[in-house]
Amino acid sequence: MSQPIARVVVVGRDAAGWLSAFALQRAFGRTGLTVQVIELPSQLSAADVYAALPTLSNLHRLLGLDENEVVSACAGVYVQGQRFSSWSRSKPDFMHAYDTQGVVINHVDFIQYWVKARAEGLAVDLEDFCLGAAAAKQNRYVLSKDTTEAFSNAAHGIHLNARTYVRLLKQCALKTGVVSTVGQIASVNRSGASIQSVVLSDGQIVDGDLFIDASGVEAVLIGAMPEAPFESWRHWFGADRIMVASGKRLTPLPAFSQISAYSNGWIGLYPLQNRTGMKCVYDSSRQSDERTAEEIGLTTGMRIESEVVVAPLQSGARARPWVGNCIAIGESAVVLESLDAAYLHVIQLGLSRLIAFFPVEADALVEADAYNADIAAHVRNIRDFQIAHYKLNQRFGEPVWDRARDMNIPDSLVYKLNLFAHRGRVALYDHESFEIENWNAILIGHGLMPRTYDPLADALPRAEQIGKFKGMLHFIAEEVRTMPSLDAHLEIHAPYTGAGAK
Amino acid sequence: MQQNSIRNIVVVGGGSAGWMTAAALSKVIGTQNYSITLVESELIGTVGVGEATIPMITLYNNVLGLDEDEFVRETNATFKLGIEFVDWRRLNHSYFHPFGLYGVDMDGIGFGHHWLRWMKGGGNPDMGLFNAETEAARQRKFMRTPEQKPQTLPKINYAFQFDASLYAAYLRRYAEKRGAVRIEGQVVRVNQNAESGFIESLDLKDGRRVSGDLFVDCSGFRGLLIEETLQAGYEDWSHWLPANRAAAMPCARAGDPIPYTRATAREAGWQWRIPLQHRTGNGYVFSNAFISEEEAMQKLASRLDGAAMAEPRILKFVTGVRRKCWIKNCLAIGLSSGFLEPLESTSIHLSQVAIAKLLTVFPKNGFNPALIDKFNREMQYEYSSVKDFLIAHYCVTEREDTEFWRYCKHMDIPDSLKARIELFKTRGEVLAPPAELFKETNWFAVLYGQGIVPDDYHPVADVISDHDLKTRLARIRSGVQDRVNGMTSHQAFIDRHCAARPGEMSA
Repeated sequence: MSQPIARVVVVGRDAAGWLSAFALQRAFGRTGLTVQVIELPSQLSAADVYAALPTLSNLHRLLGLDENEVVSACAGVYVQGQRFSSWSRSKPDFMHAYDTQGVVINHVDFIQYWVKARAEGLAVDLEDFCLGAAAAKQNRYVLSKDTTEAFSNAAHGIHLNARTYVRLLKQCALKTGVVSTVGQIASVNRSGASIQSVVLSDGQIVDGDLFIDASGVEAVLIGAMPEAPFESWRHWFGADRIMVASGKRLTPLPAFSQISAYSNGWIGLYPLQNRTGMKCVYDSSRQSDERTAEEIGLTTGMRIESEVVVAPLQSGARARPWVGNCIAIGESAVVLESLDAAYLHVIQLGLSRLIAFFPVEADALVEADAYNADIAAHVRNIRDFQIAHYKLNQRFGEPVWDRARDMNIPDSLVYKLNLFAHRGRVALYDHESFEIENWNAILIGHGLMPRTYDPLADALPRAEQIGKFKGMLHFIAEEVRTMPSLDAHLEIHAPYTGAGAK
Repeated sequence: MQQNSIRNIVVVGGGSAGWMTAAALSKVIGTQNYSITLVESELIGTVGVGEATIPMITLYNNVLGLDEDEFVRETNATFKLGIEFVDWRRLNHSYFHPFGLYGVDMDGIGFGHHWLRWMKGGGNPDMGLFNAETEAARQRKFMRTPEQKPQTLPKINYAFQFDASLYAAYLRRYAEKRGAVRIEGQVVRVNQNAESGFIESLDLKDGRRVSGDLFVDCSGFRGLLIEETLQAGYEDWSHWLPANRAAAMPCARAGDPIPYTRATAREAGWQWRIPLQHRTGNGYVFSNAFISEEEAMQKLASRLDGAAMAEPRILKFVTGVRRKCWIKNCLAIGLSSGFLEPLESTSIHLSQVAIAKLLTVFPKNGFNPALIDKFNREMQYEYSSVKDFLIAHYCVTEREDTEFWRYCKHMDIPDSLKARIELFKTRGEVLAPPAELFKETNWFAVLYGQGIVPDDYHPVADVISDHDLKTRLARIRSGVQDRVNGMTSHQAFIDRHCAARPGEMSA
């Protein structure tokens, strides 16, 4: 009879490290599993912000965290989506809200009627039929209730002060029974693809059945494993550097992240209750850090109020995040741009799949292949979503953006864009993190207007269609009118009371 | 139809009380069938200083049909959203007593109960989050409630801070335009009917005689007719409200005027700060048993936030009320009817209440004792309930740092007030009768602001779930924010609608 997994060692730092330890302890602690963390020095600066997709609340539920308490502790903010600004020189900003657009009519997706109506002269944007987008633009918090649930799937992403979030996760993890040691890895005792133990710089030897590499891009364990090479995506993502800073709190609080393209990359603003996180992803070969910091001020109209921290960025993924008894979670496995709140999402993906495929026997890790295939598919789809932003940009005459528009993109995305451009239909693959409404929002937002639409849309009489459209717009306007502002919602449900509170 | 026997009305005294009376009478009963005469002497100064008001003034102004922007312009006025009480509960503490409501009543009980539940469960102890006037005051913003349907955001309740002598002058022009006659002169003798004691006429220093059927005593604190002639008697409340002096002194404006009055507790009383458009009114209300006039004036002069524009002036008073405000054919309006320190800006209001009551019971064929009794009872009630509210500011305090405050904290207070404070402590309400000027929400603001956190609240507030409660509160809070976000700065509002012309600047 084979041995079950009794001991997991997490070698990691920051959100990846503590989420991994906490999640595994919560999920398997009662089965007798012990989780030990080798805590590496943090790479977060005071200015760092984590931006999360609505799905993070599933992980929080698993962890037994009250999301309002998390938001409150981390000066956090609920957001309805992301606003993309200046990705085209001629088109207005658009909102990628975490919500659907319109409702299905006679089994035909709303977007089909909208494409048809646009061709007939309708001036109203697709996002105007999206409750979440309308709420976001007016800095409202969407309360889900019976009347809205039939119309909308509006969900909230969150922004969190990164250091506070990590501190909170660590506290909770330790309280749940996770054991932790601060240290550095001196060497790894491995036979083939199986790690027996890690040796810390103080000589301490830590052995385990399963080793989680949550060390970030350093990839202290997985980086040395066989058959786990890192594949660069630089040909799709030209940026090689990320700058993090912080600005004043915005009042009223915007209910969205702001993602603005500029000549050499993009700049994100992430409102928090006590400040605004700033991030710039750019090509350092074309622009100095000093110039980039200036660009943040010019593009956002906000002053940098913190120190500016710069780090290299190398987008790409490891061919196999699970090799032998080592599993890479987070950036040790996949490095994506911070676009689309991907950072925490990739960690969450790894953990949710790991929990689903958690090995039954310590010496026969047959789950690895299934895990790797699952993660690879998910990551490919997120990567395509990010590439789509670059590919569809309309900033003509700037080398970074001209190159992005002209680049060769993965076949999977070519197919998706072609089908959508033809008839407004999103080809969803297995393991998509983003749903049809998310693709609709960004593809239409970036200006990929379908040439034709589903012929079934013609079955609806024009007058009836106009009536339904008007009804939806009226419904949205009325709903938004009764929503609390994001500020008010946070003040009552999740007020931040720490340093720098309003 | 019987002949109206009351046709000649004589108002004695031309301060704001006198001209408010004359203006209202000239508008409501007119001068076609009546004669309205106001006797005043330029030799006798008026008490007019920077004066703050409460929203009820709009009722009066509306009766007159005044154009609000014109009124503001003419009186150098600013808008007022409430009063900030500084250092009352303890030093370095402040709270805001706003006009307008906190939140909205829900499930048949006051908002305060729901709020108390939330606050006691860890919610923010700043109740001002749920009041639009407080938030606007903090941001120094103002606007009038816009016409909108449906009205989903909180209404903006406001009053004015103005120059009382300009207000009197403005109303004088109004009254004279409508036929009221002003006589310059000093009353040297009051002639009464030998049998009835009714006042028949007044002799002026220059020998003229002014006769009338109804006399309104607006002669100020001395009560020339009501006290000196008719001996109404005075109920002295100074054991509860010991302040008996005020030093008043205008100063240059310090920046844009703020849309509220500030009342700062001082060693032996309190100091008002009333911002007008072009200057700031200041005063120190004190008790000379605890500080000398000399010292009070010095203290006041050293605590101005702009250059002094005049020497301090001392006003003397005894807090209390005339035992009868109406005797025979004479009634008292203004300071002649009683005096309550302007801590809650009630002076103008109490005059206007008296005017409104006079109009309600206005005599036709002789004087009906039942109506006079009603008037007297109601005026007593007005004064008395305001008095309790004022005392609450003094006796509910943590301050014991001076003899004055030790006295106030430990003095014996009226039973009516004692009962209210006790009720508030137990369950967060005072159950103020509807006829009272200050409502549940005023009492809540002041008692909570002065430091009482009720032990409990109405049981109905516990019925809904915690989540539903928060959701409702967030919506209310959001309404407050939306309202205030839609406002412009107070100064910008004045500039746009009602800036006083430089020529009308008061000294």
